[in-house]
This record gives sequence, structure tokens and C-alpha cells, in this order.
Amino acid sequence: MDVDIDRNGETTKEPKSKKHDSGTADLEKVTDYVEEADISSQSIGDAMKAVSDQQKLEAAERQVKEKELTKVKINKDDVDLIVNEMEIPRTVAEKTLRKHKGNLVEALVALTD
Amino acid sequence: MPSINPLPPKENALFKRILKCYEQKQYKSGLKFAKQILTNVKFAEHGETLAMKGLTLNCLGRKEEAYDYVRRGLRNDLKSHVCWHVYGLLQRSDRKYEEAIKCYRHALKWDKDNLQILRDLSLLQIQMRDLEGYKDTRYQLLVLRPGQRVSWIGFAMAYHLLKDYTMAIRVLDEFRKTQSVKQYDYEHSELLLYENLVMREAGLYQEALDFLNEYNEYLLDRLSVNEIKVELLLKLNRQEEAKKIANNLIDRNPENWAYYRQFEDAAQISCSEERCKLYCEKESKFPRATTPKWLPLTFTTGEKFRSVADVFLKTSIRKGVPPLFVIMRPLYNQAEKVKIIEELILGYVKNLKDSDYFEANCDTSEEKEPATALLWTYYYLAQHYDYIGQTRLALQHIDLAIEHTPLLIELYVLKAKIFKHAGDIEESVRLMDEAQSLDTADRYINSKCAKYMLKANLIQEAADMSSKFTREGVSAMENLNEMQCMWFQTECASSYQRLGKWGEALKKCHEIDRHFSEIIEDQFDFHTYCMRKMTLRAYVELLQLEDKLRMHPFYVKAAHIAIEIYLHLHDHPWTPESEQNNDLDSENLSAAELRKLKRKQKKKERKAEEEREKQLAEQKRKDQQSKKSQDNDLDGPKEEELIPEELAKTDNPLECAIKFLKPLQLLNPNLIGTHVVAYEIYSRKGKLLLMLQSVKRGYQLNKDDPHFHVCFIKFLLHVKGVKDLDGGVKTVIEQEVNKLTENKPINKINQEFLDRNSSSLPHYFAGGQMMYLIDPSTKELAVKLATSVSSNIKGVTRTTSIDILDSLCKGDFGPCEKEATDFQAQCHNLFPYATAFIIPANNNTSEPLSNGSAS
Repeated sequence: MDVDIDRNGETTKEPKSKKHDSGTADLEKVTDYVEEADISSQSIGDAMKAVSDQQKLEAAERQVKEKELTKVKINKDDVDLIVNEMEIPRTVAEKTLRKHKGNLVEALVALTD
Repeated sequence: MPSINPLPPKENALFKRILKCYEQKQYKSGLKFAKQILTNVKFAEHGETLAMKGLTLNCLGRKEEAYDYVRRGLRNDLKSHVCWHVYGLLQRSDRKYEEAIKCYRHALKWDKDNLQILRDLSLLQIQMRDLEGYKDTRYQLLVLRPGQRVSWIGFAMAYHLLKDYTMAIRVLDEFRKTQSVKQYDYEHSELLLYENLVMREAGLYQEALDFLNEYNEYLLDRLSVNEIKVELLLKLNRQEEAKKIANNLIDRNPENWAYYRQFEDAAQISCSEERCKLYCEKESKFPRATTPKWLPLTFTTGEKFRSVADVFLKTSIRKGVPPLFVIMRPLYNQAEKVKIIEELILGYVKNLKDSDYFEANCDTSEEKEPATALLWTYYYLAQHYDYIGQTRLALQHIDLAIEHTPLLIELYVLKAKIFKHAGDIEESVRLMDEAQSLDTADRYINSKCAKYMLKANLIQEAADMSSKFTREGVSAMENLNEMQCMWFQTECASSYQRLGKWGEALKKCHEIDRHFSEIIEDQFDFHTYCMRKMTLRAYVELLQLEDKLRMHPFYVKAAHIAIEIYLHLHDHPWTPESEQNNDLDSENLSAAELRKLKRKQKKKERKAEEEREKQLAEQKRKDQQSKKSQDNDLDGPKEEELIPEELAKTDNPLECAIKFLKPLQLLNPNLIGTHVVAYEIYSRKGKLLLMLQSVKRGYQLNKDDPHFHVCFIKFLLHVKGVKDLDGGVKTVIEQEVNKLTENKPINKINQEFLDRNSSSLPHYFAGGQMMYLIDPSTKELAVKLATSVSSNIKGVTRTTSIDILDSLCKGDFGPCEKEATDFQAQCHNLFPYATAFIIPANNNTSEPLSNGSAS
């Protein structure tokens, strides 16, 4: 049962715009048709490869960074204090504290800059 | 399909028809089909059908039912991407974007390659500026649809916005390889220029220049290409080539200052003679252009300046250029030039009166100057004197002008302006009204008049004045709000604030804030449109503009008014009486009192009228609403109505103030006022570290700002008095305060501030005020400092003096009635026209309250 909201693949001759951007989706389909002929599959393959390699590399890097940050131990009381005093979201408080290796004073000095 | 409850073929066909009806906006029929499925006992709780029914109801404006059905549908079929997608769409229509993003993500869990959902998600992500998420979504879209142009552009743009230029350029390069170019392909040209923009942002100037040359034949926006080339050549130190193109650009548009600057840079001319030569050349080539005539005024000096200015002024006056003073005003920061201009103009007046020539010994065979020459000379002179604070002379000359030509509107406008600057807003309104009456069909003058009325707190009169041009059937106020007419609304907010009508003032501030939200909201449509139309440079510019939208002075003004009021409401919570009784600002002013009485009478008459208007407007709104739900555009939810009284009654004014503060802190950290109000808010909340934050930021920006200095000293005094601090907080405060004060005692810091900024009234005022606060025994000296308005003191303006008078009356220097009265008398001498310093006839010296009237 294929029940996509935009009914992909069906040919609608509906020039009037529909709800929100499903109208634009239709228009995009029109351009799709012209352009799919434009781009040869060979060059797409090359281009895609370059792009996806980079994408993977980035994801890996990001993971390493995040892992390192989570390794830092932080004190829950310190986080509470930062949240309360600086009126910032908990996630930001934790992140700042981790960045400063759990040092409350350094974190606060940075936050008041 | 992961739906737990697939429909049999017959019902499935019906379901598809619901979708079709939804897309074609045949909501009624859609509901009919839904009913057909749902009445069947077996499918009464079919999740996707229930959800679609809800979405359809939403389009018919039945919001509550819509949420009921969509939620019920979702509960019955938690694994259906349709249900989640529908829930997301519903949230999005209510502008709950965060929630909508979550829903889309759930939907993608069950159908990870659904193009439509991915597209919708990417739109929300760029709208919310979740750039990392946007990049990931655009990557998925690219993988799914690599044959589509938009996929590539969107992916490249994600990297561009993340400032990963190398990757952005690489993606664009790869994409361009796949493109074949048609003849006169403007979209391709835009794509190339977009890539070039990325290169320039990446600092790859040589590459960018080579790029322009390589693809020269495909670039159709020739003006941009040339402008970019000059910029790049200058960066690459290739002056000769840059000079040639800059020259062409000047020939193309001789009024653009930037081209001249670039040409000068490229030709490496800096001495004033060479520059004059350049402008002479261009002037003879383009005799009708103003810029080559005007720019030499900025860099010439002495006699050379006199001769250039002489020619410029004469031609302009002969021709009758009303904004001549506005054109000359940028030169008024140089005292020498002001003096020369004054001499020249005074000479013209004398000679024109004597002989109808600009010069005394003129060749009489030449044609005489037109009669209007004398008029425009008077007009200029009046503005000149007004600008340098010589009110009496300004008025004298504007009266001469009016005598010369009694029915010229500009003259009355100017006279009104002179009185406004001098501090007599009532007279100024009277004159502006007169000007307005000379041409009631002129909207400019009508608006000016309304603005002046607002400055005089005549709000109803201002609305009536504007209503001559606003749409009929709606009250002027409402129409001006709808039209996002923010100059009117900010002035109106100030007016209400001066009248102590906190609720009404807050309503205006919130209306302005909503305009900004609306403008940000409006960018939604452009995410798809610009990508499709390839107007990428403009699109990126739009995104950057929207990010900084609340930097706009209108927002800053409204936010400051709102914050001031919320602070006041924190200090003096709202009571029903307070709204009526706090017109104390206008006490002791006979004119103001008269006005007040008049206003009260009018109020009653108005009430009835307003009631009628309200009903009309209500009707109209209802009509519109029904219309809107019919064509069902992305207009978002109906916003909560702003009720003045409710706004003023707020339980936590400080939190409300912080909402206005946040954008200021984020976007306007370079305005000292931001940190001053931040301090005021957080000091009332008693949040020591946040106070420290505002002080640190303000100190770094401008520690010599008088307003900031007051916060700084107050903070130091506050810290001194605080005990029982948490270990961490205590260390931070001590450490940071020591950094700021270098361990100096507070009175020394204040003294150093005074020494650094000697002979400046605003600084003396702030320093004196703090001197008294630190040590009340210094009262005499403190008051003397704050009221020193002798001629060798800088910054003696009417507004500063009003502030000082207010402060004296408020008791910032302890009780000092006599000092206040003396000061008021002194100011009255300095600013004889300012109503704020007129001591009432029934000499009640105990309360010389000023009315803090507008500047």
C-alpha cells in the first residue's frame, strides 16, 4: 500500500497550488523531468563518490570529538549551579563544563565573558 | 509498508481519494470519503484515515478536532510514517517547528527514503538554522535524487553555510561538469556567480579572478562581474587593471561613491590636488552628476574648500534644491568648514538682498538670480543655525523665508522642526498641523504631522490624522499594525510610556516584536523558491539578513521601551489606579494639564466611537478568517490577542524583559545600552554572575559611557555588600572584580572616570551621581559637578539637562529642592524655548518636575 502524502510517481495535472509545499513538490517534479536527462549517470557516480567519502570522514571525526568530551567527568552540583546562576539550558552548561575539564571557576569565567 | 493495519483494496482506493481531495483542497469531499471508511466497524479506528481526517479538518479551521483526530490516528498506528508525517504537518501549520522536526524524524524511521518527508524536513532545518542536520538531510536527498539540480545546489549550500568552502566548491564543480549550457542561460550565470561568491568568501582571490575570466562568456550580470573584478584586482594588487575597470564603472554610473573610492585606491592618488583633477574631469564629462561635485567638499580644506563649496552652494540654490542642507550636513563635523559655509551663505543673503546677485561686484550683464534664490538661502541658513543650536537666529531666518513666500510647506515643516529641537513640542505640533493643512493630499506631510503629535502625546489626534490615508472600515491603529508601520508604533509606544499607560505601551512593543517574527516567518517560502529559481546569491544574502533581523533600530527601540516598562512594573507593580494616576509626568505643566482635561473629555466620546469601530473590525476579521481558512495558505495560527491590561498585570515582569533582552544581547552586543539594561534586569533578579557578565561586556565595549559607569559603580558597591556566597561563585566574583578594578577602591575608580572625561556634562552627571552614592557627605561637590553647565563644558544638551533635572527631583542626590530650582532657572536661560524648564507662574518651587519630553 503506497500512501505517500505527495503521491510520488503519480502524474497530477493540478496547476493550482495545494497544501503548503506539496505544490512546490509538483513543480520540482516538472524540473526533475528535464534535468534527469541532463546529468549523465557516469559523472554522477564520480561526483557522488567524492562527496560520500568526505561525508564518512566527517562523521568519524565528529564521533571522536564527542567521545572525548563525554569522557570528562563533571559534578552534578556544578551543573546545577551553572544552570541556576547563568540561566542557560542544561546541555549548554554541561558542554561548557566539559570543555573546561570540569573546572567550575574557569567555566563560569568563560560564560560571563 | 509498516502500517499495522493495511486496508483492503476497496477502502484503500477510498483512502487514496482522501489524499487526492486534500491536495486539491476539496476538503468537504475528503471528509466524506473518510467517513465512508470510518463508518465501517472494522476500520473505525484506522490510524492513517483518522490522521488524514484530522489534517483535512485543520484546513477547514477546526483546529481542536484536528489535533484530536491526528493524535488518535497516531495512537492507533504508531508505526505509520503517514501518521507521523501528518502530525508533523499539523505542528508545522502551528509554527511549532521543533515539534514538527521530531515528528518528521519519527516518520523517517518508518520510511527512511520518503522524499517528501525529507524535503519537508530540510525546509524546517534551514528555517531553524540546524545547519548540521540540514547538511545530513540534503546528503540523503542527493543520494536519492542525484539527477535533480536542486539536490546538488542544496547540498553545496549546506557546506557553504557551514563555512566549509572547499567542500562547497567541490560539490558545485562536480555538479557543473554534468550541466550543458543553453544560450543566454541566466540561471547558469547565477550558478557561476554563486560559486564565485563562495570562492571569495573562502579568500581564494586569484582563483576567483581566474574563474571569472574562464567563464566570462557565460556570465550575464555584467555589472556584478565588473564590480567583483575591481574588488579582486585591488586585493591582488593589480592596480592598473583595477583602475581601468573602475573608470568604466564610473562612466556607467557617475553617482556611485564606491566606484570613485575604488578608482582612487587603484590609481593610488591621495593628495588633494590629484583628487580634484579626477573629479574635475568627471564633472566636465557628466555635468549633471552631483557626486563629482560633492565629493571634493569632503577632502579639500581652507581656500580650496571655500571655492568648491561656493560653486556647489550657488548652483544648488539657483536650481532650488530643498535637501541641500541634508547633503551638506556630513561636513558639519568639521568646525572649519561650518564656519566657511556660514560666511558664504551670509554673503549670499546680503548680496541677493542688495542686487539679486550672489556676489557684490558682479558683472551686471549677466542674468540676475531668480527670486527664489533668496528664499532657499534663508531656508538653508535657518537649518544651519538650528543644527548648531542657535535657535533664535534659526527662527529669525525661517520667519524671513516665510515672509518671502508665505505658502511654501517646507518652511512650516522646518519651523516646526526648529521648535521640536528647541524643546517646545506643542508649538511644533501646531506648526506641523498648519503645514499639513496646506496640502492634505500629501501623505509625507500627513505622516510627519502624526509623528509630531505622537511626540506631544496626542495619540488619538495622531491616529485621526493618519486615518486620512489608512484603509476605510478599520481603525487607523489596526491598519497601521497590519501594514507593519513601525515608525508609528515605536513613537506611539514612547507616547504611552510617557503617559504612564504601561499596558498600551507594552502592546505596541509586542506588536513590533511580532512584526519581526513575521518577517522571519516569511522566509519559509523562499527556501524552495530561490533554489528553484537559482537566485542563490540573493538567497544567501536573505538568510544572512534574517539571522540579524532584530539588529534593526526599530526592534532596539521597542525592546528598550518594553524593558524599561517591565523594570518599572517590577519596582511598582500594576494596580488599577496606577494606570490613571501616574500622569505625574505632566504635572505642573499648565499646557499639559489642559491637554489632559481635553483628553479626558474626548475619551468619553471616543469610547463610543471605538466600540463601533471594534465591532466593525471584528466583523471584518471574521470575514477574513473564513476567507483565509478557505484558501488555507501558510498563514500560521491566529495569534493570541494582546490585551493592554493583561500585559501590564504580568506576574514576572523580569522574565518578560529578558525575552526582549535576549535578541539585543545576541545581535547588538556593540550597543552599550544592551549591557546597561541587562545589568538593570539581572541586578533586580539578584543574579550576581549575570550582573558580572553585563558589567564585563560593557566594560570591554566602553567603560567611559556615562550610563554604563553608573552600572559599574553600583555593581561594585553591591558586591561589597554581599556575603554568604557559594565557593565557586565567590572565587569567580573576586577574581573578575579584581581584574576590572585592579584592586583600587571604588571612589578612586569614580574619580579616575571623572578625570578621564573632564569637561563633559554627561560624564560629570554620572560621576557626580555615583560620588554621592558612594559617600553622601560629598553632596555639595556632587551636585556642583552634575549641574555645571558653563560654556567650557561639552555635551550640554537639552535632553541631558532634562535628565539631570529629573534626577535632582527624584532625590538621586538627596533632597535638593533649591539646587533643582536653580538648575532649572539656569537651563531656562540656556534653552529659553524648552517647555521643560519653564517654571510655572504659580511658583510652586517644591516640585519643579520636568516632563521629560521628547527630543
